[in-house]
Amino acid sequence: MKNAELQKCVVGMVLALAMSAHAEDFPPEQIKLGGDTYSRHCAPCHGVRMKNPEGAFDLTKFPKDQESRFRNSVTKGKNSMPPWESLLKPEEIDALWAYVVAGEKQ
Amino acid sequence: MKSVMVGMALGAMLGTGALAQTQQELTRDGNGGSTDNVLTYGMGYHQQRYSKLDQINKSTVKRLVPIWSTSLANEYGEQGQPFVYDGTMYAANVKRVVAMDVGTGRIKWNFDIEWDPAVPRVVCCGLNNRGVALFDGKVYVAAIDANVYALDAKTGKQLWKSKIAEWKDGYSITGAPSVVNGIVMSGMTGGEFGVRGFIVGLDAQTGKEVWRRHTTPDPTEKAYSTWPQDDSYKRGGASTWITGSYDPELDLSYWGTSNGGPWTWKARPGDNLWVASVIAIRPKTGEIVWHYQWTPAETYDFDGNNENVLGELTLNGTKRKVLMHADRNGLLYVLDRTTGEVLAGNPYVKTNWATGVDLKTGRVVETDVAKRLRAGEQVEVEPRWTGGKNWMPMAFNPGTEKLYFSMLEETAIYQLNKELPEYKPGERYMGVTNTTKDRDTSKPWGYWGAVLPMTGKPAWRTPLMDLPSWSGAMVTAGGLVFTGNTAGDFAALDEASGKILWQFKTPSGVNSQPITYTYKGKQYVTVFSGLGGGTSAKRETAGKVLPAGTVWTFALMD
Repeated sequence: MKNAELQKCVVGMVLALAMSAHAEDFPPEQIKLGGDTYSRHCAPCHGVRMKNPEGAFDLTKFPKDQESRFRNSVTKGKNSMPPWESLLKPEEIDALWAYVVAGEKQ
Repeated sequence: MKSVMVGMALGAMLGTGALAQTQQELTRDGNGGSTDNVLTYGMGYHQQRYSKLDQINKSTVKRLVPIWSTSLANEYGEQGQPFVYDGTMYAANVKRVVAMDVGTGRIKWNFDIEWDPAVPRVVCCGLNNRGVALFDGKVYVAAIDANVYALDAKTGKQLWKSKIAEWKDGYSITGAPSVVNGIVMSGMTGGEFGVRGFIVGLDAQTGKEVWRRHTTPDPTEKAYSTWPQDDSYKRGGASTWITGSYDPELDLSYWGTSNGGPWTWKARPGDNLWVASVIAIRPKTGEIVWHYQWTPAETYDFDGNNENVLGELTLNGTKRKVLMHADRNGLLYVLDRTTGEVLAGNPYVKTNWATGVDLKTGRVVETDVAKRLRAGEQVEVEPRWTGGKNWMPMAFNPGTEKLYFSMLEETAIYQLNKELPEYKPGERYMGVTNTTKDRDTSKPWGYWGAVLPMTGKPAWRTPLMDLPSWSGAMVTAGGLVFTGNTAGDFAALDEASGKILWQFKTPSGVNSQPITYTYKGKQYVTVFSGLGGGTSAKRETAGKVLPAGTVWTFALMD
């Protein structure tokens, strides 16, 4: 591998790591709000505490570097999931992302 | 000229007549009427799902083959029952109503049911539609967004649309309407969203609301004494999501009601009439003539909506007009349908919250499981909230006096939350924490079975080891029980033994309602294929069955 390619590769990896969300990125109160929002609106299909989803996507497997995909699915809907943007407040959607990333041991 | 005009007028009348189902035809459907038609939900107002046809029987069924299949272009699941009148079949799902030629399966018209994509937020358990109603040249269908439509049966053109509730407040409809004496009755659903249940009666010609019977009482009614003396009845559930049966002689329609709202009983201490009950109502007025509560103080999500099948049973040597009902709560009930007196109530699957019904008091006998749950403990509940039987309708053979249906056996881990849920219109209103106990894979998911109404005991039971069945059943004078499973197998079982005599793999899960009828003198069988209609389907099939709605019609190979 040439130096320039190696450099590109390292930069890419660093960027990917930097863009991937981590638990420490979110304050505990935001994770808690996300957990409350989740249990009210999401748990019936995605499972209590994201365990044993009955018929929906297993959110413990949601890629942590795809925040925009998550937000798009929640707001606009995806497959059988309806759009939630007219019901959930922006801070609740932020909190849901925090909960999905950091809310449960995975 | 005059005679030509009279002839034309007569022709027009006859032409209209051929498309206009009369009340007499509805009353005689599955009850001595033409076998060319299937006009009512349940193959008769009694909902027996029994056919006297026997061309397809234990000997000939091996020659049963598909003669046509038609796409319904729907990925949400097919729970519906097909309806047939005068050579046209009507199929409904959450997205559309389709009219097809019975002989060829070719589509005559398609009516798209439009709804806001956010509506599924207020639908707990799948985007379903279980069928239409036919009367007087019209096709009636209830939409998921709580509108009822009347369509011209010949063209599919919309004649009227009647909004019976606001979906944004948590109301939706999944059941088929029913027409009796010019009144279109429709139930609704939303028991997970703090709704107040009701049945409406609409004028069949105009869609105008004639009556509305709420299924929780207001403070002026006697039954209000079973509620806290506040306004909790306004969010108390008791939705009405399965079509009521009807006895024309007694002029009573029998509707089941759902779980209470919220799920936790701590928010509404009391028996909570008419939650988890059957109510016998007058179709003309909506008046409740009698009621019986399957699950007093309901807090398990034991909806009492399952169909109420009307038939006659020989009890102590005499025939008695009864109502039979296999409840989500695990008990099989027989009631005198004239008075509402309970004649039997026994477990038909593993049931740990109750032992049966005390026939002296008419009340269910609870075990300590129910008491510990109400006291706040986490308990294992059998059956799981999905019930020993869910919506998938059973069949009753008046000759053998047995019931045929798919049973489920799973266990819930269930606890009432310490904090009561906050009510917000159109949002979940539950207040419990419920999960499913890991399955012991050496045990079946459930059974196909023949059950004795008075005891709940099986005449036979076929364990379903790899996949459960969420399919309705149908029984015929040919000695066959037709049913299906989530893998998509549509099967004919020997009514006497449960042995599988024939099966056909459809493209997706069979969780619908088969029918049989005649076309040009030949017996046909039709069923919908299309996995869906529940929150458990993906878990149960482990992603190995994919959705797609299709209609399948079968006949004997010549």
